[in-house]
Amino acid sequence: MGAVSVKGVGKRFRYRSHGWQRAADEHGQRRLSFRRDAFWALREITFEVGPGTVFGIIGPNGAGKSTLLRLVGGVGTPTNGAIRVQGRVGAMLELGSDFHPELTGRENATLSGIISGLTRRQVTARMSEIIEFAGLSQFIDSPVRMYSAGMLLRLAFAIAVNTDPEVLLIDEVLAVGDVTFQRKCLAQIEHLRRQGCAILVSTHDTEMAAQLCDQVMWLRKGVVVQLGNPADVVSAYMMSTDRETRSRTPGDWQSELTSSGVQLKIMENRFGSMELRITDVRMLDTAGFRTQRILRGEPLRIEIDYFTAQTLPAPNFGVLIRKADETVLFDGYVSGDDIGIDTVSGYGGVALNLHRLDLNSGDYHVDIGVYTHDWAYAYDYHWRAYPLTVWAASAAKGLVNPPHAWEASRPRRASR
Amino acid sequence: MKRTFATAFARFLILRDLAIQLVIREIRLRYRRTAIGVLWLFVFPLVQIVVLNFIFTVVLPTRVERYPIFVAIGVLVWTWFQTSLTLAATAITGNRELVRRPGLPVAILPITSVATNMVLLVAAAPAIALLLWYTGGGIGSDVLLIPIAIVIQFVLTVGLAYIVAGLNVSFRDTQNLVPLFLLLLFFVSPIFYDVTNVPERYRAVYDLNPFVILLNAYRAPFVGTGQPGLAPLGELAVLAVAVAMLGHLMFRRASRRFADEI
Repeated sequence: MGAVSVKGVGKRFRYRSHGWQRAADEHGQRRLSFRRDAFWALREITFEVGPGTVFGIIGPNGAGKSTLLRLVGGVGTPTNGAIRVQGRVGAMLELGSDFHPELTGRENATLSGIISGLTRRQVTARMSEIIEFAGLSQFIDSPVRMYSAGMLLRLAFAIAVNTDPEVLLIDEVLAVGDVTFQRKCLAQIEHLRRQGCAILVSTHDTEMAAQLCDQVMWLRKGVVVQLGNPADVVSAYMMSTDRETRSRTPGDWQSELTSSGVQLKIMENRFGSMELRITDVRMLDTAGFRTQRILRGEPLRIEIDYFTAQTLPAPNFGVLIRKADETVLFDGYVSGDDIGIDTVSGYGGVALNLHRLDLNSGDYHVDIGVYTHDWAYAYDYHWRAYPLTVWAASAAKGLVNPPHAWEASRPRRASR
Repeated sequence: MKRTFATAFARFLILRDLAIQLVIREIRLRYRRTAIGVLWLFVFPLVQIVVLNFIFTVVLPTRVERYPIFVAIGVLVWTWFQTSLTLAATAITGNRELVRRPGLPVAILPITSVATNMVLLVAAAPAIALLLWYTGGGIGSDVLLIPIAIVIQFVLTVGLAYIVAGLNVSFRDTQNLVPLFLLLLFFVSPIFYDVTNVPERYRAVYDLNPFVILLNAYRAPFVGTGQPGLAPLGELAVLAVAVAMLGHLMFRRASRRFADEI
């Protein structure tokens, strides 16, 4: 059974800038000292994580999420306040930096296991479980410098969850793995939770935070904005993304005409900081022709071209399909990381393949948005800018209408 | 939570395993992907022993009896000290990924630096035995002084290791000062010459060097370097414990900043 209690914690970092300076110290004496600048990474943070609960931390980059998790893990000391941690700590912070690149997976795993509070013999006894969970049987005796990001994640996670942690700290990293492994991780987290493990997760994935956590804390610039019920905090956070986007939208941006003939007017149907611009959006039918009308049940491909004059960390791309009455029928997004886009600079493109559009016939609008890496605000968002018509030979009711067929069938005999 | 004897003992077992694993890691990292591997450990002391032997038996002959044994012990004991402190200076700054790991007691890292280089001493023991057999001559009953000297040197070196490891985080100058300090200490320690060569009027100051007492104890069983005596060793033991406690205290105070500064 593990528990974490954080009371009034603040963390001030001091940077030693270049060179010496002569300045008055706190007693008014002028003396020679290193030039130091300070800033508060965290202020007045208070929360409790009881046994068997999952605590989520959300917020944009630089909000202090990682600093907080590190302090809870005992790395560094808070400038003020107190942190109490009960139980053995398993942690996945700073993906991959936990391992020494020249040592093999097995050697790294042994050391990590002992650090997390097991004896050598206990770690050796669990090694096969760890290897199996990570799915690395072939590579476990190779140096980890040869591992991919996904393999590093799997190994780190396998160690963290198979060494009976009573407190588990997970920073950001779950987004890296493939879907199958993610599911396995979530199942394991659920298992640990039931055994009374106190779990702290920081994430950009607001949907996961809402599903997984018992409580969510939203941090901004080291300060708690909101703490409480996951659904409430997550929706407040999403709303703030909208507000943030509006406040960053330049007022004097020239209107543009899309290749499909719609006027994009700033603050009317276009929002975003414009650090990255969506330059073209194409909707293609099954034959690869541009279209705004597709047949019910047919595939649809949406291609998005973008341009940025800067170098930006992997953005998030989103496509939303809504009905005339604003009902959202499809809301799909992807993090650039997951499709091999680590950073963006200059021109680029992404495409979404909807293998089958099961929407019922009717008129729809497509929204296209590109968000910052941490979902803090949109770079460029085209609201209701792309009309889409789904047609069918026969009309039908309902929102969706997947390809279907009726047939007569016999009653099944009761099996008893 | 009450810390009973059982939980304290369990904690000790884990710390022991951690120290062993860190030593293994250090040695593996140092010699992985080298052609002769761990043998590198012996190259430096061996070359040093051969060269010193050549100089002081052929070029500038000394009166020290059984000089090869005399100098081999001196060099090995010194190498342990020298390599330990050199490694300790970067024990924190060079191990970022360990220091920033939740659950790792950083105080174990300087101890690891000293323990890692002790492996040399253990591994060289057969070579010394061989040399003894080759040069002939017996072993005194005061051979029991050697383990005592090793323990005292270990504690003393750990104390100094704490000081340099902690200091180097805020003042990287430390890692450049340590070799300079070691170079000076090498020449004012009776490693390749005998204490009796030092003029009497300097002895009062010279004998303050812990290596005078330590080397005397290490060599006593093999070469008659005068009466070792338990009293100086006892005094040195007290000093070693004091240095270790001071070093640990300084290290503890400095360790609050480690995670932020590396």
